[in-house]
Amino acid sequence: MKMRILTMLMSGLGCVAQAQMPVSPTPAPQPQPTAAPAQAAPAQPQLDISGAPANNPNAEPTNPKLLGMEIPMLDPSNDTISYNGGKFDVGNNAVVRAKFEAYLHGTPDTSEETRQYSKKIEKILKYVRGHYKSQQSIGSDALIQIGKTLYSLSEVPTDGQHAGTLASCIVNALDAQRANRTRRIENARINKELDSLARTTNNLNKSKSTNNSFLVAYNTKKIAQGQADQAKNAATNVQSELAAKVSYQSNMVNFLFMRRYDHAVIASRVYRHVFHDGDNTMKIEKDSKADQFLKSTTGLPPTVNTVDTLANEARTSVDKHMEAVHSMLAQNKLGAATQHLIEAVAIGEHMISVLTFPVEGRRRVAEYWTLRKRALSALNARDYAMVDQIAAKMKALDVEFDDSMLLSYSAGKKRQSDLCIRNARKALMAGDDEEFNRCITEAGTIWPLNPNLDASAKHLEAFDNNSSVLAEFRTLFARKEYRTIFKEQERFECVAVDPELKAQYKEVILVISTIDAMLKQLESVAEQDRVMGPCIAYEKLVEYSTTEPRCVDDPGYKDALNLYAQKAHDFVQALRDAEECEKRHEFGSALANYYRALCLYPKSTLAGQGASKVSDIIVKAQY
Amino acid sequence: MVIGVVVLLAGVGFFFASPSGKRSSGKPQDFSIREYRNDGSRMAVPGNRYLLEGRVENIETIGNSRIVAVSLKNNRNERLPLLVSKDTILKVNLTRKDSFLFEVECRTGRDSSGNEVKGILVVKNAESTK
Repeated sequence: MKMRILTMLMSGLGCVAQAQMPVSPTPAPQPQPTAAPAQAAPAQPQLDISGAPANNPNAEPTNPKLLGMEIPMLDPSNDTISYNGGKFDVGNNAVVRAKFEAYLHGTPDTSEETRQYSKKIEKILKYVRGHYKSQQSIGSDALIQIGKTLYSLSEVPTDGQHAGTLASCIVNALDAQRANRTRRIENARINKELDSLARTTNNLNKSKSTNNSFLVAYNTKKIAQGQADQAKNAATNVQSELAAKVSYQSNMVNFLFMRRYDHAVIASRVYRHVFHDGDNTMKIEKDSKADQFLKSTTGLPPTVNTVDTLANEARTSVDKHMEAVHSMLAQNKLGAATQHLIEAVAIGEHMISVLTFPVEGRRRVAEYWTLRKRALSALNARDYAMVDQIAAKMKALDVEFDDSMLLSYSAGKKRQSDLCIRNARKALMAGDDEEFNRCITEAGTIWPLNPNLDASAKHLEAFDNNSSVLAEFRTLFARKEYRTIFKEQERFECVAVDPELKAQYKEVILVISTIDAMLKQLESVAEQDRVMGPCIAYEKLVEYSTTEPRCVDDPGYKDALNLYAQKAHDFVQALRDAEECEKRHEFGSALANYYRALCLYPKSTLAGQGASKVSDIIVKAQY
Repeated sequence: MVIGVVVLLAGVGFFFASPSGKRSSGKPQDFSIREYRNDGSRMAVPGNRYLLEGRVENIETIGNSRIVAVSLKNNRNERLPLLVSKDTILKVNLTRKDSFLFEVECRTGRDSSGNEVKGILVVKNAESTK
């Protein structure tokens, strides 16, 4: 039913429908999700938020056509309309958006004039509905009164002169009926006259007088003339009746298509009281577009009642949508409220319930609608940071808003862009300009506002100025200022263009990283044991310098060595004294110093090895 | 005559003041391991003899010789290395954690290359303090 109503709406608007649907199926530059992902099924990837048709039109059944145009078909499962082989989200179409926004930002028509208009229309509807049920005929006077009332209502701006058109229809039909009745009376009078002439002629023939022959001939001629007049009047009646019906029905269908459902209902229910012949069939050309459209609703030949049914269903549907809007707003379900309001406005923007929807409700829906539109814009602009922000706001506004699709889509694109930047950096390090340019372009295309692009720009700058950087690197490496290189490693990444420098660069990074990791570990050890911790740290540093002699030039290493030497002063002093004693060949004192160091840190490898060495010398000497 | 008497007295005095007997007065002496560590050349004059009471903290055997780490009464946190040469036969068996009275002599030796090995305290005798 909903589908039928919207189908009627979209097709009936004629030019509106034509404007709403993009005629040229221009494919979008990049596939995008729907603006309201919560409402769009993920299984519909061909849905295009820009309103462009889907890529696979052949998969869809052909829609019926009306007035040379394809009728859009609504799919209630996802609120999309199939048209011209494409699928469109009703909420995303440009014209629907524009009309809906105009409605949201308009003021409710709560004037007294509109209220009175509504009352009078309801009164007329009630009156004709009563006679429709009771099967009583509405007299000419009552019809004239309805016409007069409708004429007066046509002055109200809300009506848009449609009541006047309806009144004219009724009056024109009544005029046609009146003229037909006059012709039928005329035919009756002619019939009586012909009867009289026939009797007179018959009597003249019986008298057999030759003088009567002229009179007989005259009467015969008059009878023939009268019969011709009767036939002419009868033909005129038939023609007039048909013209009146076609005119009336045409306006009735027009009201339906113009979404003036009240007028369509009044016209259809007054119809049988204007035309008493009991013929309710629509006088439209067989198999014409309009005929096919009305047949498509029931599959049977269209009648006046078909129009009545469609108009009533539309009215009911709009009222239900508006009830749902109020209910959803009360529950803070703005997404659902917005969807219902869009459909209510699209189907029956002239209905009183839609026109009088209060400002506060419109403001809340407008706020949500604006966010939804901004989400669409942000997706089109590929500003995924903004998408995340908007999703959060929509979630805050609507308790039922499902932000998972927006967020997952956004996160996916962000990761994709970051991956491209990573690949670009690799290409930069490998000296591959072409690959670098390709990856950076791709990253920018996927997420133009990716903040990591700025960092890449710096890399590119460094890449451009690499000759001076290479020279600086060589100088620093020769001076063994590894930590300076390490601190500015991103700037020096470009040295990778030279294989030899690349190896040196990797070496520097490895050495300093290892030292830093070791220093961090030793810091923790020294913290845990404040007595022996510094001894352990000092000894580890000294031992490391034997395996990695380059560390002794590192300021970080030197600082740490000094620090722990200070903290483990006695231990370090004992070791140093032992070495000094060894130099003076005072091996007894040297051994005593090593013993002292072992007393302070029994597990000391340096002291243990020193003591062992000196002991050996002492024992082997000759005294 | 007088000169002859003076020379004789001096000779007797020198005999009694010889290194082996100079500080071996029979009582344990104060010995600063710290000073020995810091200034071995002053403390360990070759030929000086010391009588030290100390506790054996560690014994390291290298070949047939031993190096005994001894802590003295005045400073238990220091260890004094004493060499017990393979040629020295002691009256007692040195055991860890036991205290002994060591009679030591400061010596300077030479290694196989002829280099000096200064300030080594060589144990001449040891007695148990128990």
